[in-house]
Amino acid sequence: MMANKSLKKDQVNNLLNKIAQSSQLIAPIRSENITRFKPVQSGEGVVLDYQNSVVPPKDYFFPQSEKMFSYDTSDPSWAITPEAGVPNRVLFGVRPCDVKSILLLDKVFDAEFRDDLYIDKRNKTTIVAVSCNECRHTCFCGAFGINPGQAEGADILLTDLGDRYLVEVLTEKGTTLVGSCSDLFADDDGNGPAAKEKAVAPAIEKQMKIDLEGVKAKLDNMFDHPMWDTESLRCIGCGTCTWVCPTCHCFDIVDFNNQSAVGYRYRCADSCQFANFTRAAGGHQPRPSKKERTRQRFMHKLRYFVDRYGDFGCVGCGRCLEKCPVNLDIAQIIKKVKEVG
Amino acid sequence: MCTTKEVASPLTPHIATVTKIIDETSNVKTFQVVFDDPEVLENFGNMPGQCCMLSVLGVGESMISITSSPTRKGMLEFSIVKVGRLTEVIHQLDVGNKIAIRGPYGNNFPIDEMKGKNLLIIAGGIGLAPVRSLIDYALDNRDDYGKVDVVYGARSVDLLCFKYDIFDRWPKIRDTKIHVTIDREEEQWDGHVGFVPAYMEELGFSPENTVAVTCGPPIMIKFVLQGLEKMGFKDENIITTLEMNMRCGIGKCGRCNIGEKYICVDGPVFNLSQIKLLPPEF
Repeated sequence: MMANKSLKKDQVNNLLNKIAQSSQLIAPIRSENITRFKPVQSGEGVVLDYQNSVVPPKDYFFPQSEKMFSYDTSDPSWAITPEAGVPNRVLFGVRPCDVKSILLLDKVFDAEFRDDLYIDKRNKTTIVAVSCNECRHTCFCGAFGINPGQAEGADILLTDLGDRYLVEVLTEKGTTLVGSCSDLFADDDGNGPAAKEKAVAPAIEKQMKIDLEGVKAKLDNMFDHPMWDTESLRCIGCGTCTWVCPTCHCFDIVDFNNQSAVGYRYRCADSCQFANFTRAAGGHQPRPSKKERTRQRFMHKLRYFVDRYGDFGCVGCGRCLEKCPVNLDIAQIIKKVKEVG
Repeated sequence: MCTTKEVASPLTPHIATVTKIIDETSNVKTFQVVFDDPEVLENFGNMPGQCCMLSVLGVGESMISITSSPTRKGMLEFSIVKVGRLTEVIHQLDVGNKIAIRGPYGNNFPIDEMKGKNLLIIAGGIGLAPVRSLIDYALDNRDDYGKVDVVYGARSVDLLCFKYDIFDRWPKIRDTKIHVTIDREEEQWDGHVGFVPAYMEELGFSPENTVAVTCGPPIMIKFVLQGLEKMGFKDENIITTLEMNMRCGIGKCGRCNIGEKYICVDGPVFNLSQIKLLPPEF
């Protein structure tokens, strides 16, 4: 791979402008103190000092709502027209926890029955990650072996070194991107990696320390544990945890026809916290109360995902801790499992 | 900017035409369908026990088991209970109408492991639909399988599905016995009266060299499993099919997740020892 590069901070805007000329650029934008990933035409307004976006950039691979195909049933053969794919894109400024979450989504969507809608977006997206120099009070990526200064799965990793960014080129896609605007980059003077370690140290040291040792093994025997009765009491079933989660991937499929023969089928994010999620036609409901639904969410992240895909279904981004209106928090659940299991 | 090349999408259905409709009961119809593009069926490769996502575009999509055996060429059959929004619309279809289908999904009955063995099928109501694909498969390959016993029941005579099979076609095939029962006495019914699990025990079956396959309402399955255990059947030789609400059929949408399994891709066919490893969600 290409040797480490360096990018002066006053060149970031030029880099973003250059990228936006040849690809769709998606980057974090702050408005009314909320940071979100949005398609932008230039580097104007892009922020890289944010701690984490309020919702993950998952949307650009698995949109909250996504047209799958259009149909026309007035046509005697029921013509189906597939959706056009996405243009080449650069997803800029992704934090290491969110990069890991994309690798976890790959395990789901790029498995048996490869999901072409997801894979099209994945193939056409170059991911530029940014290391964390600071952490939020809700961060615990270390619990899942994630390092705020590493981003396996990204194509390029930037690390803020004060006056410049260290640029680590991790893949072919990354090489292509850097090569396409090589005049903006300088070679790293060799001090970059050491400076990076120092720069990301606060994010490692200050984050919540959660030890997952033994949690999975305990959960293997805790399906009927009374803690699900008590922990689920305060859940209000709003589904916010699943909406802000970078690894949640459940969806519904719906036809929209507006009372006409022409319409489209779309899929949209759904949540295991909603009663209708598992309710079958005829009324059969295997998860009738908040207890079963709360249990399903935590069991899925910390036990079932491990059994199926060999990794936890959580990256410790802390969004659900911050947004849950009743503080039903996966970090607390992990602690509780260790206490009572 | 570039646009994608068209790639085969597992979530995009094929269009088929309804070629025959059989009224099974007051709320069950069997639909025979043929794909508009004959190549689709040639490459379909469906096996007994597998399912398809059926949809009427603009209404919705549901997972339905394929009730016909792959030995019956040129078409697929689906037996559908009128129970929800989509199935109400499907029940209004006429011969010649279109239906959208994708699949086949899921695993299948272990037809190779079952070779040389006797088959004991215990089904209730519409539960005969998924196992009918297995029964016809075994009977169409008659020499490959031992005796076939079907214990089948419904609440009333009207609610018995596939009357043409259970009374006319299957009993005429050698080493094949069909034991039919209904829950309560009815005029003009001189067959057995009683619940399926009790009738199965009354008939008595040896577990030797026999695989039991059961499908029906949960309460029936519960007592059938107890009965089979009493008769000495081992968990590995007791097979059932599970169902849960599904949307994608390809192990991604999360609805049919139970433990580490997705019923749509890892099931619907499980043996009892596999089911005992799953979290007890049912």
